[in-house]
Amino acid sequence: MSNIVLTRDLVKYFPVKSGVFGKKVGEVKAVDRVTINIRKEETLGLVGESGCGKTTLAKTIIRLYKPDYGQILFDPEGKIPENPPYEGKNSFIDLAKVRGAELRKLRRFMQIVYQNPTTSLNPRMLVKDIVAEPLIVQGICKGAEAEEKVLEILERVGLGKEHLYRYPHEFSGGQRQRIAIARALITNPSFVILDEPTSSVDVSVRASLLELFKELQKKMNLTYLFISHDLSIIEAISDRIAVMYLGKVVELAENKEIFSNPLHPYTQALFSAIPIPNPESKRKRILLPGEPPSPVNPPTGCRFHPRCIYAMDICKNTEPKLQKVGSEHLVACHLY
Amino acid sequence: MSDTSLNLDEQLKVKDLVVRFYTYEGIVKAVEKASLKLRKGETLGIVGETGSGKSVTALTIIALTPSPGKVEDGKILLRKSDDSIIDILKMSEAQLLKIRGREISMIFQEPNAALDPVCRVGEQIAEAILAHRRMEMIKKSIELIEDEKKNGRHDVWTALEMWAYREMLNNSSKTILKILLKLPIIRNTIKRKLNHAVRQEIIELLRLMEIPDPERVIDAYPHELSGGMQQRIVIAIALACSPLLLIADEPTTNLDVTVQAQILDLINRLKEKFGSSIIYITHDMGVIAEISDRVAVMYAGSVVEVAYVKELFRNPLHPYTKGLLESIPRPGTPLKSIPGNVPNLVNPPSGCRFHPRCAYMMEKCKEVVPRLIEVSKDHYVACLLYGGGE
Amino acid sequence: MRSSLKIEQSPRIKEIIFILTRMRENPLSIVGLAIVISFAIIAISAHILAPPVYGRDPYIIPRSGYYPEPQPPSPEHPFGTTQGQYDLYYGIIWGTRAAYRIGVLVVAASAVIGIAVGSLAGYYKGFVDEILMRITDIILAFPSLILAMALVVAFGPGLDSITLALILVGWPGYARLVRGEFLRISAEDFVEAAKAIGSSDLRVIIRHILPNAIFPLLVYASLDIGSIILVAAALSFLGLGPPEGYADWGQLISLSRNWITGTSTNPFAYWHVYTIPGLFLFLFVMGWNLLGDALRDALDPMLRRR
Repeated sequence: MSNIVLTRDLVKYFPVKSGVFGKKVGEVKAVDRVTINIRKEETLGLVGESGCGKTTLAKTIIRLYKPDYGQILFDPEGKIPENPPYEGKNSFIDLAKVRGAELRKLRRFMQIVYQNPTTSLNPRMLVKDIVAEPLIVQGICKGAEAEEKVLEILERVGLGKEHLYRYPHEFSGGQRQRIAIARALITNPSFVILDEPTSSVDVSVRASLLELFKELQKKMNLTYLFISHDLSIIEAISDRIAVMYLGKVVELAENKEIFSNPLHPYTQALFSAIPIPNPESKRKRILLPGEPPSPVNPPTGCRFHPRCIYAMDICKNTEPKLQKVGSEHLVACHLY
Repeated sequence: MSDTSLNLDEQLKVKDLVVRFYTYEGIVKAVEKASLKLRKGETLGIVGETGSGKSVTALTIIALTPSPGKVEDGKILLRKSDDSIIDILKMSEAQLLKIRGREISMIFQEPNAALDPVCRVGEQIAEAILAHRRMEMIKKSIELIEDEKKNGRHDVWTALEMWAYREMLNNSSKTILKILLKLPIIRNTIKRKLNHAVRQEIIELLRLMEIPDPERVIDAYPHELSGGMQQRIVIAIALACSPLLLIADEPTTNLDVTVQAQILDLINRLKEKFGSSIIYITHDMGVIAEISDRVAVMYAGSVVEVAYVKELFRNPLHPYTKGLLESIPRPGTPLKSIPGNVPNLVNPPSGCRFHPRCAYMMEKCKEVVPRLIEVSKDHYVACLLYGGGE
Repeated sequence: MRSSLKIEQSPRIKEIIFILTRMRENPLSIVGLAIVISFAIIAISAHILAPPVYGRDPYIIPRSGYYPEPQPPSPEHPFGTTQGQYDLYYGIIWGTRAAYRIGVLVVAASAVIGIAVGSLAGYYKGFVDEILMRITDIILAFPSLILAMALVVAFGPGLDSITLALILVGWPGYARLVRGEFLRISAEDFVEAAKAIGSSDLRVIIRHILPNAIFPLLVYASLDIGSIILVAAALSFLGLGPPEGYADWGQLISLSRNWITGTSTNPFAYWHVYTIPGLFLFLFVMGWNLLGDALRDALDPMLRRR
């Protein structure tokens, strides 16, 4: 089992400033010691609600944010073993420590597709320039050669020559997302983060985008980190699924396993809250009391304990660790 | 659907609505002969995607069509609380002010766009209450004063208040009352009981919305509350005057799934309590399945299918509805989507607007616009496969 | 493999046509555009309209004599002459060219400096922003006309000093504007996306953010040209401008100072001396103001719609 990305105790806090001089009065603990691995050519689905830190985690892995602590081991060829050495001569690239031009060079191997295709494309750039930009910036090629590659990748995502000389606003949402995908894939990255790529797109077009993702993954040997709050989409595309709550990963398991046997109480509540598109199903819903607490002052011990129906005394004091329960199933809960 | 009045059990009827937007790029034919019926106490789910016209239709029902839109044709018949029937499109603005908030209320997708960020939440609910239930509140204030009198608390200020309320009750336009109501401190003293009565009413309303700690929330500003709480406040404002018809335009789309579950639950229970009819607009088939009694499917400006929710899911007739249901990702089955894109509404396809994407397209579909006809009991389709041609 | 493209399809041309169409809806904008273009034509064809005397600096107005009293318009002096017998017509024509020269130079230089300062401040924020903005604030704290005057006195009177002074006084306005736009735009996704691709900061600023920030700058610049010319004329009138006899509207008005009251019998005896330069000045500034307003109206909803 070889990994492309492996984070260890990754931490990202955002300072909360207040007062006339902008003193730091607290921290938003967006990502709080996350240790997670992403295997070569798999699709890891990341679910959670707003404020759980999934987007922050993804952007920190890809170094759009600088982590406050922890390691991000990255190997485009996907050879990181389960427990790599912390230091030493055969250690892997730690993105947390790379900076400047070296970091920029690594970017061609890791890319991101954003949620909103309207704001993620420069409204004043032509499609051909948007998609060719990574090639030019990475010094891969330019001019006519670049334009050839642009055409090639556009055709792979289902667009054509006639779309080169247009502005993004002339396209529909689904098409804009395809342009964003083309831009992300033109440098042949190994690792792509898909941050809710289908949320801003019409329902009838979503399936075709998901099909496209699957096809491209096979053809280009891509590894995906797929973030979504839509569980049905996650189920359709992920190999493994990680559930986050308030900055921590609470459960991680294979697709089929987690849906047939969710262990963490939050996962169970989350799954039961999705409205089923079937009016005849009578499913007992677990309604979580209260609201998700703020990540500035997370509850002590297990962060979920104030809303958990199974909360015990130990849950208030000690934070549960992510442990193996079953062959490929990890949970962070004192029940197990 | 061809008469010009409402049946006894009908709350709202939209007939052949046509709305067009006059923009630089041309005339956008946003809604083209859309027809809907809503029965009393029923929840009608309208499902459709971008460009289906569902939001424009909803806004037109409450006569708030956004500019540069113009209503070109059609009728919107509403049964008011006094059982009279009016056509919304023929009402003057003054008449509409009495209808909005009282007979029909609307809640939108973005709760923080619906709430004024510089007014406390309680004030905003109070505004809704005082706009339509002012007399009721004044009567309550009078009752409160009389209670106080019985308990012996009686001074010149309460007498003044009593006099003021009695005058307001009679709709009098005495100048001295007007002057007193304009003077800063006197004004607050006179309105003390009224504010108290309204505040109690608001707290009741917040309890109904299952908002914890209503005493604190009532004085909070919108940005101090979470998205789910804000949406509850918006619902509270909408229901403050017990409207007969509530229009909800994707109210839970931007909320977390667990919060969405709570809100849907709340809406269902409130519907029972208040007895309102609801038009619920969304693009999420799961929500539709949960909350609707009947469903209308809209595509590119027209209503293409209407049925009871179980019937629609069991037996979808229109090819678009079938496509929508098939595009819901389900474990085990391969993903399917509808080929093509939502049409450009400046130059929509001729005939049936869905024909370029339809797997069952016939030659006739390019020429004839199908009408909505009843194919089986209470199941309507607009598709030439089932008749409905000229 | 170059993709060929017909002119009608070119998206940039479509944009320009769109802007022009929107402007057409507002008749005043046509007036503004017409005025600006007419003045431009006059300035370009100055050699033809008022041929200079061979061998001399064309900006020095030829004079027919040294008699102080201005002469009214006549066939050989279409606009008459001003104090010292300088030909008013020549002065006006070449003054147009001078006006454009100052206006364009000052606006262009202020814009460049303003973009440089504002983009760095708005992009990097933090400490850089603080320093740059404090410098900007200091300059903006002075009343601009007085500061300009002080600078011109320090540099020594003349058109170049005026130009330099106006640039130094004018760039903070542009810097503030650009900084605001940069702050707004750098919060957008596509800027982060550009960084995610590995673009250097410079590239992100120039290639990605700047093209989006340019529209308000265009509006500001076109409104600014008018006020630049007015201030330049004011400084000339106060005697801080080019020497007597130079073709500059402000200078011409300065020459009319003694003749505004006319004679004891006819207060408007010398009307041509101040009215004509004043009129040209007025029309020039008005034209640019109308154009700037029209541009702002045309561009604003377009930005919103996109």
